[in-house]
This record gives sequence, structure tokens and C-alpha cells, in this order.
Amino acid sequence: MKKLLATLGIDPDRLEMFNLSAAMGPRWAQICTEFVEKMRSFGPTPIHAAKMKQQC
Amino acid sequence: MIVGSQKPFPELWEMVQGFKKVLVLGCNTCVAICHAGGGKEAEIIAAMLRMKAAEDGVALETDHDAVQRQCEPEYFDPLMEKLRGYDLVISTACGVGVNFLSKLIGATPVYPGVNTSFYGAVPAAGVFVELCAGCGNCILHLTGGICPIARCSKSLMNGPCGGTDKGKCEVSKDIDCAWYLIVERMKELGTLARLGEIQPPRNWATARDGGPKRIVLEHIADLEEAEAKK
Repeated sequence: MKKLLATLGIDPDRLEMFNLSAAMGPRWAQICTEFVEKMRSFGPTPIHAAKMKQQC
Repeated sequence: MIVGSQKPFPELWEMVQGFKKVLVLGCNTCVAICHAGGGKEAEIIAAMLRMKAAEDGVALETDHDAVQRQCEPEYFDPLMEKLRGYDLVISTACGVGVNFLSKLIGATPVYPGVNTSFYGAVPAAGVFVELCAGCGNCILHLTGGICPIARCSKSLMNGPCGGTDKGKCEVSKDIDCAWYLIVERMKELGTLARLGEIQPPRNWATARDGGPKRIVLEHIADLEEAEAKK
């Protein structure tokens, strides 16, 4: 899936998979927080940027 | 089973140019097993086409669907009207499915989403190997169950060529020499002496050289015809 994203010019690091059990709530929250921060640092996807451009 | 691999995305993107409404249609038998063209892969291709269209600012509507087998007409019956509502159908079945649907669907074009590769087996998860060439004249009983036509790079019928090297083929060290395997297997079976028997020249007319092949089971085809007339 990461390779497919790369063919579209989308950074493969925008996709990650984690294996967690239902008992790992704190770890889940930590992963979500870290990933959201990471995505914010990446900025908009090329798709979002293209859509914004079209709306202008 | 029939083994294929998904076409590179740039080729698929090139195919849809000029079309506005595209359906990616998976086949949930052979090509689903090899992760090339089942319902899941059809959904992924449709999503990728949508994403690329959004990136490039192109108006393109894509959907996905799948049938159990694209090589038999009854599986298309519930879908045929829907299929005709699209400008283009990308079939991720093997080439058989693409040919077959092209004939059934009428004016809508059907393009291939998969490169059909070979008849093969799955020795381990994610690994697919060619074992049969569908030549129409099986000689596996004479070669220890190992096909020299599919598994020898030169399809040699009379033993290994000079390129065999410690059980490997000169084409690639990743390819086993089929004749090495045949000899070892026949030794194991105690039938090696059979390789000394002179075989007549092979009739290749049963393979591609004889043109497109057709098999008709009259006892079944006649029944179907009679049922259809009722």
C-alpha cells in the first residue's frame, strides 16, 4: 500500500499500521497523538493542495 | 490457477484518459488468490484513480465491483445493466475475463487491469511459480511429474542443454533446471530407465501452434441447448 501511495506522489510515511489489543488504550492514544503531530508537520497532501487550488 | 500481476498504475492512468465514468471490476477466483485482481484490488485501483484524478484536477468518476468468476456468463447476469452504465470497464480478471466480458457487454469498452502471466501454484504465501504451459498434450507421466515445457527455459524435450549448472538454469540462478529435477525425481521413483525410451517427435498442434483451442462436451452442450429452446 505504501508503494502504491508513492506512485501517486503521496509520501508513504503518511500511512502506518500498528497492531494493538483492546487493552492497550494508553498506547493507542499515544500513537494517535504522535501520528497527528507527524501529519501536521507534513502539511497538506498533494490531493488536498490540488483541491484547494481548484477552489481558488 | 491462472496467475497475474497488476498493471503498473501509470499504464492504468493512461488507459482511463478521455473517459468520465469508469468501473473497475474484480474477479474473485484465480487473480484474487494472487492478490492481483480480486474485489479488494479492484477497490484499491478505483480509489487510486480517484486520488490521481483529484491531484490532476480531472473529472473522473470511478466505482468498483467484483464477480466470483469472469469466465462464465451467469456471474454477470445481475450486473450487466450496471456495467453498461459506464464509459469504460477495467477488468482485473485474467485475459480470459477481459475477452469474455468484451463479447457480452456490447458497446462499452473493457480494458485489462492485470497482466496475465502463467498457470501456477502457490508454494508459499506470496510466491507463485509456473508449473504448466497448457500445451494440450500432457507428458508428465513420462517426466516424473515435472513439466519440461513449462519449467525448462527452452522447453527442451530430450534432456538438459549445455547451460545447466549444478541444478540451475543458465537463464537465472533463481530458476531450477527442469531436466535436473526430472532426472532426480525419476531416480527417486526408480523410473530413470524410462528416459532412455525413444519418444516420437512431439505434435505441437495441440499447443499455440495449432491456433485457438475449443473443447465441446456434446452431452452437456446439447442439454443446455434443449433447455434454452423450452
